Amino acid sequence: MTDPKPRQSKDVSEAQAIERAKQGDAEAFQVLYDMHKRRVYSLCLRMTANTAEAEDLAQEAFLQLFRKIGTFRGESAFSTWLHRLSVNVVLMHLRKKGLPVVSLEETTQGSGGEEDTPKKDFGAEDVALAGSIDRLQLRRAVESLPPGYRTIFVLHDVEGYEHNEIATIVGCSIGNSKSQLHKARMKLRDLLKMQRAEKAEKS
Amino acid sequence: MTCVELQQSLAEIEDGSGAEQRAHLETCPTCLALLAELNLIASSARDLSEANEPSPRVWNSIEIVLRTEGLIRPPRADRPHPASFAARWGFARWMVPAAAALLILVGIYVRQHSLASPENMATIPAQQPLQDAAAAGLNDDELLQEVADKTPATQAQYQDHLRRANEYIQDAKQDVQADPNDEEARRSLMEAYQQKAMLFDMAMDRSLP
Repeated sequence: MTDPKPRQSKDVSEAQAIERAKQGDAEAFQVLYDMHKRRVYSLCLRMTANTAEAEDLAQEAFLQLFRKIGTFRGESAFSTWLHRLSVNVVLMHLRKKGLPVVSLEETTQGSGGEEDTPKKDFGAEDVALAGSIDRLQLRRAVESLPPGYRTIFVLHDVEGYEHNEIATIVGCSIGNSKSQLHKARMKLRDLLKMQRAEKAEKS
Repeated sequence: MTCVELQQSLAEIEDGSGAEQRAHLETCPTCLALLAELNLIASSARDLSEANEPSPRVWNSIEIVLRTEGLIRPPRADRPHPASFAARWGFARWMVPAAAALLILVGIYVRQHSLASPENMATIPAQQPLQDAAAAGLNDDELLQEVADKTPATQAQYQDHLRRANEYIQDAKQDVQADPNDEEARRSLMEAYQQKAMLFDMAMDRSLP
């Protein structure tokens, strides 16, 4: 991940908290939890689109982390370690539920499904997405994505993973990751335009 | 390159910087608009990375498991007790009741919305929550001043957190106003105010050395 970007850049205090957590200090565990809870929970929520599942998965991710914290040697950033672990917890959960972590098609060309056919009317000036996108609307649109598209979109555009990292994490080709991302964005564009059109009709 | 080919090629070169892509984009405003919209979606997505706060239930459950498994151990007797709340915060203690008051007021506000008929909704002033927040004594500038006085290094972070929280509140308010019967929008508004209240709470707990 190119930009792990923990919200609180308290490197020193985080390092101190890690060392204290290794000694079993309750407050240190909570400090680490508070530093990363929003990012971990938001990741779980974006990928599952279910509040209860997201809370359970965030809990599981932190527990796995805290159980292994004695082995953390600081070779990689703590946040990178935690977020990668969280992604694995969520993907494992999705697989157990039988949901596709990534769509089966391999590349952009030749799969022939309706979703793959470029739309002739794309870019039509019906409702433009100019300006900014309302976060609540974007959250809803992401929740409406098919699980396979959602996974790739969240990992790439929300969490900042590169395609080669996503390919390793979810077990697909780099081309597939790129293709899924593009389709996810196209789908989101349609969903957001629909939302805007509905809103305009109401007002 | 045709429009269809351009769209297909964006999967591989998403920023449209390929030579053939650039040539097509220079002559096709429709594809240029498409690219701008896809870029807007991608850039907006980063705002979702920390958009939600887990309920306190999550930490409570984690703590119980950590204690059950013996990962949390009792504190050593030689460790100094943390400074008392009053000693740590001095006159900033006003923030505790203020944050609590904000949450209660927002709860009442959202409940009123959920009980009110759409006709009655028009009579409820749109600015009510913000006025309530002001009445509760929650002032962004005062919070930032407190943080600046205590730990100047974290002021920029809190400024950013506050900006995001306020934007989130504005978004949610617009959605509630657009459709007062939208349960999810009301829940989001409640969450948005909770996030702001949590910021004040966080400032009290975290901004001190």
